[in-house]
Amino acid sequence: MIRKLSLVLAISSIAAFAAAQEKVVIQYDCIPNYANWGGVTALYKQLTGVTVPPDPKGSSVAMAALEKEKEAPQADTAYYSGAIGFQAAGKGLHEPYKPKGWEKIPAALKDPNGLWWTVHTSAIAFVVNTRALGGAPVPRSWQDLLKPVYKGKIAYDDPTWGGTSYTLVYGLNELMGGNETHFKPGIAYLKRLDANVSSYPRESIYNGVLRGEVPIWINADGNGYKMKYVDGAPVEVVIPSEGTFTMPLVMGLVKGAPHKAEAKRYLDWLLTPPAQAEFAKAYFLPVVPGTLPKEIASRLLPEKEYKRARALDLAKMAAAADALKKAWVDEIRGSGR
Amino acid sequence: MDFGLRANTTTSSWTGFLLALPLLLFLAAAVVWPIGHLAARALTTEGGAALRQVLAAGRYRTALVNSLALSAAAALASLLLSLGPAWVLARERFRGRDLLRTAISLPLTFSGVLVGFLMVVLLGRIGALPKAIGFLTGREALAGAAYTFAGLFVAYLYFEVPRAVVTLESAFRRLPRELDAAARTLGAGPVERLVKVMLPVAAPALRSTLAVTFSASMGSFGVALILSRRFTVAPLEIYTEMTGFLNDDVAGALCLLLALATLAVDRLLAVRRR
Repeated sequence: MIRKLSLVLAISSIAAFAAAQEKVVIQYDCIPNYANWGGVTALYKQLTGVTVPPDPKGSSVAMAALEKEKEAPQADTAYYSGAIGFQAAGKGLHEPYKPKGWEKIPAALKDPNGLWWTVHTSAIAFVVNTRALGGAPVPRSWQDLLKPVYKGKIAYDDPTWGGTSYTLVYGLNELMGGNETHFKPGIAYLKRLDANVSSYPRESIYNGVLRGEVPIWINADGNGYKMKYVDGAPVEVVIPSEGTFTMPLVMGLVKGAPHKAEAKRYLDWLLTPPAQAEFAKAYFLPVVPGTLPKEIASRLLPEKEYKRARALDLAKMAAAADALKKAWVDEIRGSGR
Repeated sequence: MDFGLRANTTTSSWTGFLLALPLLLFLAAAVVWPIGHLAARALTTEGGAALRQVLAAGRYRTALVNSLALSAAAALASLLLSLGPAWVLARERFRGRDLLRTAISLPLTFSGVLVGFLMVVLLGRIGALPKAIGFLTGREALAGAAYTFAGLFVAYLYFEVPRAVVTLESAFRRLPRELDAAARTLGAGPVERLVKVMLPVAAPALRSTLAVTFSASMGSFGVALILSRRFTVAPLEIYTEMTGFLNDDVAGALCLLLALATLAVDRLLAVRRR
């Protein structure tokens, strides 16, 4: 009897252990400091016991990893800036899934077949650490950034690393008069900007901006609001006067996801009001209408500022991605001397 | 008698082989297979085209040349810088020697990315050194030097000097002390003994130190990942091709050439040893 009992105990504890092991969802590009993924995944763990570990890949690297692991997928889901997610879906790296709450996502911000959908949106802005400017005025426009007073004070991520920066490079090219096959206007501007750029990081420099190592970071507005209101840093978010670009941040279910059932539950939950409000704590705007907490809404720049933010065509952006990134590497990062 | 000796030798070489087997298997899996795979790939049409693309003038070739130049410079400089400390550690007895040795080899435990961040803290735009210079002289200097070639070079020295000191110290320890004593008896001063007696005897050790530091620099990635703004090195281009462009062929060709160049230089240093 005792032996039988201990056998049952042993088996059930093994089963419990196995179940505990299963309670994980792997998300590529899950940077705790970006869009409050740290807070979102902590809340999910608290509510469900399921762990979603942090992952430092940028969008492009996440897509590259999925492509490499196509035969034996390791990830369940991935998070990208819009165009890269669109591209990943086009490469057949996702499988269709329409999470609960699907109908609340505006049609332009999702794939009709469920290969990708938006979880929140952001806009490209100047994130300015005013104390680190060394007396220079806060820049208000793309033209301002070219002034010699900002020499060595500007950084934007390497667009071959992160999707936010690819959005910036693509959008700027359009703003300067280029299009998805004609990159000269954007590259010409970025070449002039290069004189003032201190680095093209391939890792999150969020903390570098907080410390003042980087006074001006051209990145998602949400990161700037978070520095200002969550970290209490002397940071101002600027929507440049010539205009800027919105960026949907999207997700998809990885084809052949190892924890598919768990991943679907997680993806469903990300569209619920508590999860959407948690993203909003990092000032990334919820995609589900009516879930933006009032105190967050009141801290954003006035709506008229965001009138200057235009939406970009994800299909064109995805089609131009390789050529534009290559042009950037060749012309801006330079021939390597 | 003769038989016995031969049998003995056979046994010991078999034992040696068996002992080396795990390492040989590991090397086969971790070195021979990937390099063979890359070499085989280079023989395909796409691989050959990628190889030609890498060898043609442009970003890839520049990256390879930069890697060679930076690694050679870092190896030579770290050898020169470590001669004195290694000699002192090997030959002198003094209080705090172990502490000094530990302090010197500490950077060996840091990953490249960490060294990169250290350089940013030290020589970044608001680095400690520029601030200190500003405080002392009233005018800040060296701000942002971390992101320049000089910054990258100093960062490489930061992890190559300890490597060179460790390698050289053990070589210096093995040098016959009698030579030194004989030279001293004949009236040679410490500098003369080092230059005229010890360095020639230690030449093979110097060359292997160069080989060790050179190879480590060729493969280093994390430091350049953090610091490189424009100056690019081969491992960085491999990363960009793999992750930014999913371009396996060019990344593979770069890997192959990087490995071959490193091996060639190491062989060159080893051949001269004879």
